[in-house]
Amino acid sequence: MNQHFTYKAFGLIIRSQFEIPEFIVSEGVPDVEIKIGTVPDQLIRVTRKGVKFQATKNEFLIDVDNVAKYYVKNGCEIIIETNRDNVDKEVRLFLLGSVFGALFLQRGLIPIHGSAIKFGNSACIFSGISGVGKSSLAASFIKKGFPFLADDISVIDNNMHVVPGFPNIKLWKDVLDKLDINDENLNEIRPEIKKYHLPVDTFFSKEPLLIDTFFIINPKNTPGYEYEELTGLQKFNAVKSNTYRYRFVGGLEKQLDHFQVLNKLLPTIKVYRISRPQSPIMIDEFAQYIIDTFKLNG
Amino acid sequence: MVKKNVIWLASYPKSGNTWFRVFLTNLLYETIDPANINDLAEASISSSRKVFDDYTGLSSSDLSFDEIDKLRPEVYKLQSNESNELLFKKVHDKFYLLDENKPLFPPEISLGVIYLIRNPLDVLVSFAYHSAKPVDKMISSLNNPHFAFCDKNDKLQNQLRQIIGSWSDHVQSWTEQKQIPVLVIRYEDMILDTFETFKKAVLFLKIEKNDEQIKKAIHKSDFKILSEQEKEQGFKEKMIKSKYFFRKGKIGDWENYLDEKMKNEIVENHKDIMIKFGYLDSNSHLIF
Repeated sequence: MNQHFTYKAFGLIIRSQFEIPEFIVSEGVPDVEIKIGTVPDQLIRVTRKGVKFQATKNEFLIDVDNVAKYYVKNGCEIIIETNRDNVDKEVRLFLLGSVFGALFLQRGLIPIHGSAIKFGNSACIFSGISGVGKSSLAASFIKKGFPFLADDISVIDNNMHVVPGFPNIKLWKDVLDKLDINDENLNEIRPEIKKYHLPVDTFFSKEPLLIDTFFIINPKNTPGYEYEELTGLQKFNAVKSNTYRYRFVGGLEKQLDHFQVLNKLLPTIKVYRISRPQSPIMIDEFAQYIIDTFKLNG
Repeated sequence: MVKKNVIWLASYPKSGNTWFRVFLTNLLYETIDPANINDLAEASISSSRKVFDDYTGLSSSDLSFDEIDKLRPEVYKLQSNESNELLFKKVHDKFYLLDENKPLFPPEISLGVIYLIRNPLDVLVSFAYHSAKPVDKMISSLNNPHFAFCDKNDKLQNQLRQIIGSWSDHVQSWTEQKQIPVLVIRYEDMILDTFETFKKAVLFLKIEKNDEQIKKAIHKSDFKILSEQEKEQGFKEKMIKSKYFFRKGKIGDWENYLDEKMKNEIVENHKDIMIKFGYLDSNSHLIF
């Protein structure tokens, strides 16, 4: 297989043996190579182990049943082993999620579980637990005209910039309905799951932006919106616990490196916990509350 | 090495699970002040999406319900393996088998299950209040063999899908399974025969505490204390639509809310199990 496709995503030039339509086509010397091949069954000297993954300082292996096995090495190489005839959207779904998450951690970057939006000349990250509405909030900001950098994983580089991911948001059917977005021509992420890829090419911000504010969204069981600024250990823990796939950080040595990067980041940003009622979720109203409260401009 | 260190605190919703967890926290930690309701010993419910995602390395929101179920036993095994202490896990799922007859809750890591049961008529009233749903709609839920939490596939819900089944299904699934030792505790006995009931649980769990310690833990878990704590600081497990989580906690409160027809719809559907656990006598008269 001699054909190659070259892309830019997350500030990296990525060369792949197969097409990744989610990414933006680019050129240049690759930072990352993605290949189809055979992955090791086991890693040697495993320092972190999960149900479906193993990690060492510089290697990572994850197995998604009936989809593919993925191997990541030294932050610059990804090998995919799959029984499928081609690298379909399901194989790419896990590649663009957990697998890239492991790659970022190997490269000493900070991947945050959340979406990133451009306000003024800087970026804000919206983080929080699964289902809290990170992607739907991003979609609402886009609707209001704010440019978008990343969905689900927002990567902060060593210069404290949020690097643009790729122009795509994954949204559930109920969110599309609430935001009046027609799902007729959208692609489902997987056959059994009513979650769709929404391309957002025209709203995509292609330049890295200095990070300004880190918001952690939190559901609460009382009415009304609230916020508080986090400082000290609370601030450190909030960013650490919202690191994408923190358990992939391979071993103590890698963990200390990660803490150093976090300590460099923390003085440069403000961290707020914003709480919203668990139900009903008024996406546009919540986005407007954030814009007004924190005086976020276009 | 496989450790048997997991204790499942299983119940149909609104059957005393939280009260029992408050008691356990007070018993295990023995702090001077009563345990804080927002900081209980049991760290996360078995259906926690965050725990699943952390331990598998995958986003549960990218997986089907069946794919998630298949991985859940592995998550519990890894949690058990990583813990050097007893691991209490709250459960609302019914007990059921996956492919190849593998239980969702792996017996090989399970020390036991405390199954908390309560008069379904009182469960009904409490459940309706907490979900802010009309009683007749709640009756259909208690009678529905397909009742489940978080089972929509067009939206992301805060927890993993939990198959609950009807009230009787739920009770039978946990109390008739033979793979994990089970102790059944009635909510009514927790109120009427408090010390003996909690002591039975402590003995079953093989926790080494004397009568004095058990009494202290019971005292610190009094309904009034929990209710006052909630009034002062709120309770994170409360649903937004209900005013309080710790509402009344009484036996027989159903009489204030259910008419004859409503009562019969529950009693007729759950007669056998109600007789078995002492909620109906042999002449079908209600005991509580």
